[in-house]
Amino acid sequence: MVKAISKQLKGVFIGEIRQNREVQQDHFLMKVVLPASFASPYPGQFVMIKVAGLNEPFLGRPISIYSFRRKKTFCTLELLFRVVGKGTEILAGLIEGSQVEIHGPLGGCFAIYPERENIIFIAGGIGAAPLSLLAEYLCREVCLPKSAMIFYLGAQTKTAVAGLDKLSKLCYRIHVCTDDGTLGEKALVTQVFQKDLKKYAPDKTVIYACGPRAMLKALHKLLSGTRYLCQVSLEERMACGTGACMGCAAAIRDKTGKVSYQRVCSEGPVFDIQQVIWDDK
Amino acid sequence: MPQQYPHMAVEIGKLKLKNPVMTASGTFGYGEEYAEYVDLNKLGAIVVKGLSLKPRLGNPPPRIIETTGGMLNAVGLQNIGVEEFIEEKLPFLRPYDVPVIANIYGETYEEYRKVARHLNDAKGVQALEINISCPNVKKGGLSFGADAKNAAAVTRRVREETDLPVIVKLTPNVTDIAAIAVAVEKAGADALSLINTLAGMSVDVKTKSACLKNITGGLSGPAIKPVALRMVWQVLQRVSLPVIGIGGILTANDALEFLILGAKAVQVGTANFINPHATMDIIAGLRHYLKLNKIKDINNIIGSFQEGGSSC
Repeated sequence: MVKAISKQLKGVFIGEIRQNREVQQDHFLMKVVLPASFASPYPGQFVMIKVAGLNEPFLGRPISIYSFRRKKTFCTLELLFRVVGKGTEILAGLIEGSQVEIHGPLGGCFAIYPERENIIFIAGGIGAAPLSLLAEYLCREVCLPKSAMIFYLGAQTKTAVAGLDKLSKLCYRIHVCTDDGTLGEKALVTQVFQKDLKKYAPDKTVIYACGPRAMLKALHKLLSGTRYLCQVSLEERMACGTGACMGCAAAIRDKTGKVSYQRVCSEGPVFDIQQVIWDDK
Repeated sequence: MPQQYPHMAVEIGKLKLKNPVMTASGTFGYGEEYAEYVDLNKLGAIVVKGLSLKPRLGNPPPRIIETTGGMLNAVGLQNIGVEEFIEEKLPFLRPYDVPVIANIYGETYEEYRKVARHLNDAKGVQALEINISCPNVKKGGLSFGADAKNAAAVTRRVREETDLPVIVKLTPNVTDIAAIAVAVEKAGADALSLINTLAGMSVDVKTKSACLKNITGGLSGPAIKPVALRMVWQVLQRVSLPVIGIGGILTANDALEFLILGAKAVQVGTANFINPHATMDIIAGLRHYLKLNKIKDINNIIGSFQEGGSSC
């Protein structure tokens, strides 16, 4: 009989908002102070966040972790998010001192390949957030040289380019582009990356991507038939974040070729780009 | 050992529970998903995700959408199938000191029969809960639970296959839920659980299309609690079977409402999504309530409802 559970049970943490600032139109940077017992996240992981003690909005919102700092008696979690609906609108309105329920860190993480010469990041809009934590992690914990990391950051327009200030400190080269040319090159991020593709030998390169589905789909097309290693972080509506509700389904092909719906929260959010079925919607 | 007060154990027929708080099917995975959050031994029972004869892929996304005070889901009963459940998931649950209730469904009578037979023979399942909200493919997709005759027919067939207690989970998407309850009681059910989700939908104003790929989904969460209470009350007046109350229970107070009406136990569903400790919080809250009111046994609360309505 399983009588006692040896390890401590996981739970939901109450965090206090230290800062919640609109860094640019519809984009907020929220800093939350959490108890030291909050586990350090791995890059690619997310939290479910909701206003503490309130049932409106009813469900937590899955938000990827943008930055994390551990101090002796507490830790600080940073979330960079875009206002897209009711939940994020309410989160955006929270002032300093407000309490939030934070459940996490949740989900899987990016696999890292420190021996590879070219670490490529491709982000569309707010997709820069989880990749920033990855860049930070590779820089700080793995001590990769800045020169190995190249970032392609695209967005529809200038005001949707997120997290550029932090990334400029972490990466050697950042290619910025916008659909309308208001910042950086006027091109799609996948087009900019395509021009550089042959500079990167497949076996010496790893690609990490996060962004709108159309962008990831275009990237998949670009890389299909090649040997590039590419991991993507997916987004989907979630109710629980722990694998129980089966709400966050993504069609994934497993190693045997069988297609099934996997949970973005548990089997993901990071998947190999070749395993994702991109034509399901 | 001295008797511990308050006494929290309840009985649903021959099924003995440490306390009246169970998990609702489809909201607690196969138990494993929450084992890191909750000491499973402390639950009244675990009702696992609905099982079909063969694995089911489920519906394409988006499958869920939040609504005021709740959520809609159209997961499409994605599950690993009864055989894989017995092989892969049941061994994890067996060592725990908690009754495991397998929720089952089929698209034909024969499928219900076969799933029941598999689970009857597998060690480690203490009861079956029949989901009768599933569409009957041979009857043009009409839900088995939508009419009394079919609901009774499913119950009878499962009954024939097993000695385990049979709980029938009723759908609220009917004109007269008590009539279904009566039919199911006559067909040999040991207990009833209600309610399943209410059929609903939500429209995205930006795209002018349904928020769910499946268009319609099942509404759950606190929004449905008043409907659930009304139905539990109606059913209790017509049947003598033990009833398990389900629908929008977030707190101990919510659970008490069902218990006062006469439900022997409750199931906590959507609350697990927003608070993985919800079941533990509710059990602690019930215990606290009993202590505070100097009630030694939770069974003294069950069915303590005063007919006649409030005068205030």
